[in-house]
Amino acid sequence: MAGSVCEQQQISGGFVQALLLVNAFFVGSVLMGFEMLGSRYLFPYFGGGIGTWAGLISTVLLALTLGYFAGGAVVDRHPSPRVIATCCGIAAAYLAVVPASADPLMMGIMNDIGDGPSGILLAAACLLLVPLSFLGTFSPVAVRLLLRSTAETGRIAGMVYGVSTIGNIFGTLFTTFYLIPTIGSREITYVYAAVLALCALSMLIVPRPRA
Amino acid sequence: MKLRSTTARWGAALLAIGTLLTSSARADDQRQLIESKESLYNNIYVYKEGDYYAMTFGYNRKIYTESIYNSKDDRDLPVTYTRYMTEALAYAKNVHSILEIGFGGGRTSWYLHRFLPGVSVTSVELDPEVEALAKKYFGIKDEPNFHLVNQDGRIFLMHSTDKYDIILIDAYRGPFVPFQLLTKEFYQIVKDHLSDGGVVAQNVEPTTMLFDSAVKTIQSVFPQTDFYVADGNVVTIAYDGAPKDQAALSTIAKQRQTELNLRYPLVDMLAQRRGLQANTIDPNAKVLTDDFAPVEALKAIENHNRKWPDPSASSSK
Repeated sequence: MAGSVCEQQQISGGFVQALLLVNAFFVGSVLMGFEMLGSRYLFPYFGGGIGTWAGLISTVLLALTLGYFAGGAVVDRHPSPRVIATCCGIAAAYLAVVPASADPLMMGIMNDIGDGPSGILLAAACLLLVPLSFLGTFSPVAVRLLLRSTAETGRIAGMVYGVSTIGNIFGTLFTTFYLIPTIGSREITYVYAAVLALCALSMLIVPRPRA
Repeated sequence: MKLRSTTARWGAALLAIGTLLTSSARADDQRQLIESKESLYNNIYVYKEGDYYAMTFGYNRKIYTESIYNSKDDRDLPVTYTRYMTEALAYAKNVHSILEIGFGGGRTSWYLHRFLPGVSVTSVELDPEVEALAKKYFGIKDEPNFHLVNQDGRIFLMHSTDKYDIILIDAYRGPFVPFQLLTKEFYQIVKDHLSDGGVVAQNVEPTTMLFDSAVKTIQSVFPQTDFYVADGNVVTIAYDGAPKDQAALSTIAKQRQTELNLRYPLVDMLAQRRGLQANTIDPNAKVLTDDFAPVEALKAIENHNRKWPDPSASSSK
């Protein structure tokens, strides 16, 4: 009996681990994919120069900064996959409203604030800051959930960041060289929202690991 | 063994590329680099060869020449397509104001300014360094009726309430194609800034699939499009309303020629006017929009076998 309980936990542990890493990949893909896509939303209003890219990149990094701090703090209090489910769910919902609202918003910012650095930063923030901050929580949360002893901290943290960065690379290249030449930017945004919704769902079915 | 042969193949390929590069550089050796500038948007090089100045972006001076200026004659347009851009004068109902998007060395707009000093010419250039170099080497001066605006072309139009009789679009920069200047939404904004009877002339590079999509996009906003095949480039003239026949265009061309005494007569260039043949544009080409505009991918698909009807055939239409 004892043996089978142990086995059960082993299997479920391996399954959770695999699922978290799969999520790390997809969350990483959407994160960088949406940064590339952000350029398609911003260029018509703010031009395609290095200034627009600087606004996009710094906004993404700010979102990651917020996500890392907040994710780390929250998961220590609530060490549950529900944290990931909630964050991915909010990001998915946000992305789902972007296609219909982006153009009037960009137009308004361009007209009221202008197309200089402050306009670019505000527009990039409206587009990216909320969803990517929530996605930014993923890595510290996943590290905490996967960790079973301090002896494996380095390996677990390295694995989460490694897989998520592979996702970043995939998202950047796949979005730029496949999705943008194949379907429109708005449709791609809906695809991302759907991927994140699936990530959120997958984290709801996962059993809560032992604290 | 496999590794060795792969290495050898790469070595041979690199050697071939190296030979190609040095030989093309040697062919251009008489051009002397007189200034280079790294701006926010470009790496700009100004070369001098005899009396001629050339502005190029990037190192590949053979491919990415933006502008050529004859310092002894500021009414000379050494680059053929820029002459055909002025053919818009034969189409416009009135000529009171001209807008150019993409100034570069400023050849086309300065030529128009010199021959039409009473007409307001505005040129919008994104890169302030390009503007500065044009003023330094390409004979551009501050003069009444000649306005230079340092802004993104689309943003300029979105903020402007002015209307123009002629809008010239030449904002391709070397290898860079800003997608937001090639979409249906952009051409709609351009159309909204045309006065009654106004026309748009655009330089389009015809060797890739991007040409097909660009033409379809222009045609999605403008019912009429004429084409002028100009030495490797194609100038597209687009306008609203009914098609203009050759005789009507010829009449205006002759009349404006008498008034303006242009260096490159509109009537002569009119002989190069072409329409489209069924197989000129790829049937699979899609209209570009702000949502879907894969300009880089389209530019990578070469399409050299373009069929243009005989100039004489379209002139009878």
